[in-house]
Amino acid sequence: MANKVLVIGSGVAGLSAACELAALDIDVEIVEQSDFPGGHAIQYTCKATDTCVKCGACMVEEKLDRVVNHPKIKVMTGTRVQDVSKSDDFSLKLVKKPLFIDPEKCTNCGVCFEKCPEKGAVVKGFSRNHSPFYAISEDKCLYLKDRSCTICQEACPEKAIDLNVPEEAKSTRADAVILATGFTPFNPVSKPYGYGEFRNVVTNLELERMLRTDGRVLKPSTGTEAENIAFIQCVGSRDAKLNHLWCSKVCCGSALRMAGLVKARQPGTQLTFFYMDVQTFGRDFDVFYAKVRKDVRLIRAIPGDIYPVAGDRLQVTFLDNVSSETMQEEFDLVVLSVGMTPCRGLQETAETLQVQLAETGFAEKDGQGTPASEKGVFLAGAVTGPMSIPESIASAGNTAFEVVKYLGV
Amino acid sequence: MAARDIIHMNELDHTRFKSWGFSQDFCVTCGLCSSSCPATGIDGFDPRKLIRMLSLGLENEVVASRWPWICTLCAKCENVCPMEIDIADAVRRVRSLRDRDKVPGIIHKGLEAALETGNNLRLPKDDYVFILEDVAEEIAEEPGYEGFTVPIDKKGANILTTIHNKLVNTHTEDLKHWWRIFHAAKEDWTVPSENWEGTNWAYFTGDDEAMKIMTGRIVDHMHKLEVKTLMWPE
Ligand SMILES: Cc1cc2nc3c(=O)[nH]c(=O)nc-3n(C[C@H](O)[C@H](O)[C@H](O)COP(=O)(O)OP(=O)(O)OC[C@H]3O[C@@H](n4cnc5c(N)ncnc54)[C@H](O)[C@@H]3O)c2cc1C
Ligand code: SF4
Ligand code: SF4
Repeated sequence: MANKVLVIGSGVAGLSAACELAALDIDVEIVEQSDFPGGHAIQYTCKATDTCVKCGACMVEEKLDRVVNHPKIKVMTGTRVQDVSKSDDFSLKLVKKPLFIDPEKCTNCGVCFEKCPEKGAVVKGFSRNHSPFYAISEDKCLYLKDRSCTICQEACPEKAIDLNVPEEAKSTRADAVILATGFTPFNPVSKPYGYGEFRNVVTNLELERMLRTDGRVLKPSTGTEAENIAFIQCVGSRDAKLNHLWCSKVCCGSALRMAGLVKARQPGTQLTFFYMDVQTFGRDFDVFYAKVRKDVRLIRAIPGDIYPVAGDRLQVTFLDNVSSETMQEEFDLVVLSVGMTPCRGLQETAETLQVQLAETGFAEKDGQGTPASEKGVFLAGAVTGPMSIPESIASAGNTAFEVVKYLGV
Repeated sequence: MAARDIIHMNELDHTRFKSWGFSQDFCVTCGLCSSSCPATGIDGFDPRKLIRMLSLGLENEVVASRWPWICTLCAKCENVCPMEIDIADAVRRVRSLRDRDKVPGIIHKGLEAALETGNNLRLPKDDYVFILEDVAEEIAEEPGYEGFTVPIDKKGANILTTIHNKLVNTHTEDLKHWWRIFHAAKEDWTVPSENWEGTNWAYFTGDDEAMKIMTGRIVDHMHKLEVKTLMWPE
């Protein structure tokens, strides 16, 4: 029988591992629990201004393009691994949540998205490789809640929507499994920045999505352009109280690249970056750092309180290093650079696959006892700890190499 | 700050405060403390710098500095510090390193008075009792409080309460609120006639020995008067 590898998670790590293996004629199945493949990074925008700033966003698009068009790779979205048993190879039980929109019939016209009365019930993808480009959210859809609405089903000109599709149980086999379930962004509600309470406090991930979909920075409260933006770094990283002692590594670069992009597109914008120390991971950091320092005011202190003031603005109190006094300044958008935390549900998945977790909660490559890899389970990408897109790709490359050795191809 | 302009690297001793269990060496210099502190900026006070001075072992500088005395010990900084550094406790410990006669005037004098006389004001016992009884008489004139008296040194009462010195000085009206509540609740309560001071300024001067004496006096009252419950509003 031909070798087959199952990849759990279709982030840039899972996609890269799949490409490497498929290139060696190995069959790959990717199981992705969300509606759209590509993980977090497919939601990021290219941050090039007049030159490329090496943010890596395009690499994800490119991997996804290769994956969806590769005959050896099959992507199953909305799917989770429920159970695994192992003799010589792995037998896996999968659950696929209902795919309410039939990919064969859908033409991506977007009528469902336009007609849906409930915010967030029909969601959009991020890439032209997301097909269908729309999906129905099980949490938000009114029909799924109380059967009160069938507007999209009736409106779809292709009759592609069926809200009564049941969940599907599937099974598959694999010779090796790659765990590439990535990370979960830190939820900043517990921090004193009013996230979830003040509309103009957003996360870096939300800003990434905004830049990708709208191309500009808009204030959620009004939909108009933000003119004075504060970035607060290290939210949920380097924090002993949360037991998050790690630096998330990517957020300094990501925030400064976004700031650079905003300055290029909306030159009137004032940008302030509150930080502990700028983490310059990656060889390409100085490509844009010198320039961004001219465009962005850098303040080496994390702010304390945020209060809403008139006109939907936010008053931020922070230490001014120069005067050694606290200053209060108003911003119209505050971006929290939330860190990377272990992927939600990782503990369960790790137990099923007998993968060890480190004290941090991330998966451990070389833990105590027999490494999972000797039993055919491998790790790739941010599931093992914070890393950037290029690092995730490199990690997936190494993993693919180990898998090939294990399979003896 | 009374620090010198130049501190030579070889004068730094990172091990100096090693035994202090306040985690000061874990500081990541994020500045959240200084951004949140209500006293930041007063005479250049900056909690982040103060914690760094401790990590660097700058003992003379930090002890001579006014900063530890500007801190209000409110601990807002501690509440936001991501590294769980006990900033307010560390500040208090620095205060404890000063020669006692260099502790800022008012708290030093108040504490000395308390240790010697049982209260921060050096108020003689007769005067104190007179004030309490005078206030009780005023209450007794109010409708519903007929016959009200203040039970001083009452053995076997249910509650012992201490007195903040300002309540027998400038704020006697404030005594009445508690007492009226006791009356309405038919509470069996008492106040001590000596060593009645409820504040413990040794907390602010960083003097643990004195703090123990002040607290010990209250415990003694409870034993002697056979009272099980303490109401210590200070
Ligand atoms: C705000 C922000 C900005 C960033 N910006 C940059 C940048 O500019 N440049 C850069 O290089 N890096 C950036 N990064 C880092 C980048 O996001 C990561 O390097 C990359 O996403 C890691 O890829 P991954 O495949 O390991 O994980 P993920 O992208 O997290 O993908 C994991 C996938 O697994 C799926 N999954 C999870 N659990 C299961 C399960 N049980 N079953 C099935 N599927 C599952 C998830 O749905 C997801 O699709 C940024 C990170 C953040 C938070
Ligand atoms: S990369 Fe920067 S923002 Fe992110 S955790 Fe590290 S230091 Fe903080
Ligand atoms: S908040 Fe804590 S970690 Fe941050 S600078 Fe202050 S003492 Fe250091």
